[in-house]
Amino acid sequence: MDFMIEAKDLTKRYGDLMAVDGLNIGIKKGEVFGFLGPNGAGKTTSIKMMVGLLRPTSGKVFINGTDVKKIEKGTIGICPQELMLWENLTCKESLNLMADMYEVPKKIRDLRVKKLLSDLFLVEKADTIVSKLSGGMKRRLNLALSVVHEPEVVVLDEPSEGLDPQSRRVLWNYIRALRDEEGKTVILTTHIMDEADQLSDRIAIIDHGKLIRLDTPESLKKEIGEGDVVDLKLSDTSRNQDLINELANEKDVISVVEVKGRINIRALNAVAKLPMMMQTVERLDVQVEDISVRQNTLEDVFIDLTGTGLRE
Amino acid sequence: MKFISIAVKDFKELIRDRRGLFFILLFPIFFMMIFGFAFGGMGDNNTPHNIAVVNLDQGTINSTGSNVNFGNNLTAELQDQNYPQNNDVKLFNVTTTTDSNAKDLLRTRTVDAELVIPANFSDSVQSLINNTIQSSTGQTSSASTSTNKITSTLTISGDTSYIGFGVAQGTLIGFLSQYQQGVVTAITGAQPVQYINTSVQSVAGTTSFTEFDFLAPGMMVFAILLLATTVAAILTREVESGTLLRLKLSKMRSFDLLFGGLIPWSLVAGAQVVILLVVAIILGLKWQGSVYSILLAIFVGIIAGIASISLAMIIASFAKNDRQAANLGTLIVVPTTFLTGSFFPLPAEYINIFGHSFQIYGILPWTHTLTALRSVLVYGSGWSVVSSDVIISAVLTLILFVIGVFLFSKTRLGAES
Ligand SMILES: Nc1ncnc2c1ncn2[C@@H]1O[C@H](COP(=O)(O)OP(=O)(O)O)[C@@H](O)[C@H]1O
Ligand SMILES: [Mg+2]
Repeated sequence: MDFMIEAKDLTKRYGDLMAVDGLNIGIKKGEVFGFLGPNGAGKTTSIKMMVGLLRPTSGKVFINGTDVKKIEKGTIGICPQELMLWENLTCKESLNLMADMYEVPKKIRDLRVKKLLSDLFLVEKADTIVSKLSGGMKRRLNLALSVVHEPEVVVLDEPSEGLDPQSRRVLWNYIRALRDEEGKTVILTTHIMDEADQLSDRIAIIDHGKLIRLDTPESLKKEIGEGDVVDLKLSDTSRNQDLINELANEKDVISVVEVKGRINIRALNAVAKLPMMMQTVERLDVQVEDISVRQNTLEDVFIDLTGTGLRE
Repeated sequence: MKFISIAVKDFKELIRDRRGLFFILLFPIFFMMIFGFAFGGMGDNNTPHNIAVVNLDQGTINSTGSNVNFGNNLTAELQDQNYPQNNDVKLFNVTTTTDSNAKDLLRTRTVDAELVIPANFSDSVQSLINNTIQSSTGQTSSASTSTNKITSTLTISGDTSYIGFGVAQGTLIGFLSQYQQGVVTAITGAQPVQYINTSVQSVAGTTSFTEFDFLAPGMMVFAILLLATTVAAILTREVESGTLLRLKLSKMRSFDLLFGGLIPWSLVAGAQVVILLVVAIILGLKWQGSVYSILLAIFVGIIAGIASISLAMIIASFAKNDRQAANLGTLIVVPTTFLTGSFFPLPAEYINIFGHSFQIYGILPWTHTLTALRSVLVYGSGWSVVSSDVIISAVLTLILFVIGVFLFSKTRLGAES
């Protein structure tokens, strides 16, 4: 199988800390590939090495079979986690500048800048100084600047961090269009389960620098079983363990875990199992502060795999 | 032509950065106005001018056959002269000495100016007297040979970059023309012929100067040095905001970035010279120049601007954010301006290297900028006079530029490891 990007035993060590620990990943041409993991998991470090921005402690990266150190500039477009903008230029001036820096001919440049501005809903702000843009607009411009040279591979580091829901929808549609209409390979990192779930063709779950699982969102969710989750909170959280022990013995319950002081109970047709659960609660003489039933999410997958929720 | 895109971008950023622009344009104008009002009328501040007199006059025989020495007479007159508006204060503090000793005194600024009375001075005064007598008695046979001997040249020398010299030489020239008139009218019936020629070394202007005339070019140097602060802040912002990383990922080369920046920033230095010249003239600068001298001054300013940009690159190699760059810049720029002698003249300090003595402040390129700007704008000198200072400042700027490019490339343009 030919990969667009291939990482082999990629490792980065900062002193005693293994920020990335023996990562082996192949990313296919034309897919949206998601890195999912909590803050500090090593996502940024991984993608920085994969695009040749950061020298790995050991391991190799190949882009289309070529060592990343030798690839032509402009093959990859990276949209960094932080904003990287010229505050005193307008949107259009910034885009024109980056296109010039990638030696895009002027005619093509003008067309492309126009399209990018409209795709990312920045047309009205084309001649506005960047410092006067809202946070969401700045994020969208940040992305536009990274793709103005139409790179084969687009890398997005936490693209929806700090985005309002409206900007997020624009962004998600744009990312899908990159794949579906232009055939680009997209890599994105996120700590938002929903984002990884909605956008990615395949997801790599990483924590503490290690790859934990790599699969499609559907397979990942199926892997931990069908069913719903009952999410409840006790007024006296010191009794959590008692309830977990009791419920774990019930045959209809698939799993019970404690997440940030709350209890997550997974069961098939959970609503029908609620009376049974409430009886157990009463038997233990504990009070429920709040309770809800929801669908299985990627977050549950994550909890199942790591035993904890996403650290913030 | 990626460097052109960078140049256009840098130019836009520069003119849109209000705070930075205020700093490099309005701040020096503000200083210029303060100096203009404070020192504009301070040519004669009623303290004696220190001058060295070298009397080479060999004397002559007068019509009655006795020995006379008009050089001694002139020296005595210089010593006796008081301020017209204050009769208790002497106009000059005269040291009579030899030429070589006078040059030493000039260099240590013990004296402000040196006056050399030529060997034929008495001869020429006597010729004038004889000529007058001959013309009144109608014996004109030898008149033509005598008139040739009438003119003699007094030489005033000194450091043209030094305020004290400018004021002293202006006063001296005024005094000498009075003396000449005095001698001429003392001889009955003599026509006021100009028999004393004064030659001011490396100085074309003969107006008397006020301190402001010397401080105005200093303000231009100050403005150009302040440019380093703003450019350092812009360069640091490029690093801090991550846009430099963006540029590094693109096909841009270090050359595009640095050369592209050099164009707008050094043009700003040239513009600073023009703007401040206009302000200074409004405030009463006795400007000697022509269009040519403005062009020469702009050229000198641009070289100094490149020196400031080099300094900015050095500052930007160390500053962590633009605020720090601006602070660090001010911390470096103000003392540097002081050391160039732009605010007020400094006592000369010499160091010896391989038997040659150098002004220690001369290692700063802007010191030579100041000398050249003063020469061009205040005295109206041309290229031949300022070429050595311009060339030295260009060489020093080149050295500073190489250091700046090296440090900035090493700290900011390399790959993250
Ligand atoms: N330059 C660095 N020096 C030291 N440690 C670093 C550096 N960059 C990242 N780290 C550490 O490496 C780990 C992974 O960081 P990062 O890749 O940024 O995580 P993520 O992007 O998943 O939030 C973190 O513990 C972080 O503190
Ligand atoms: Mg990150």
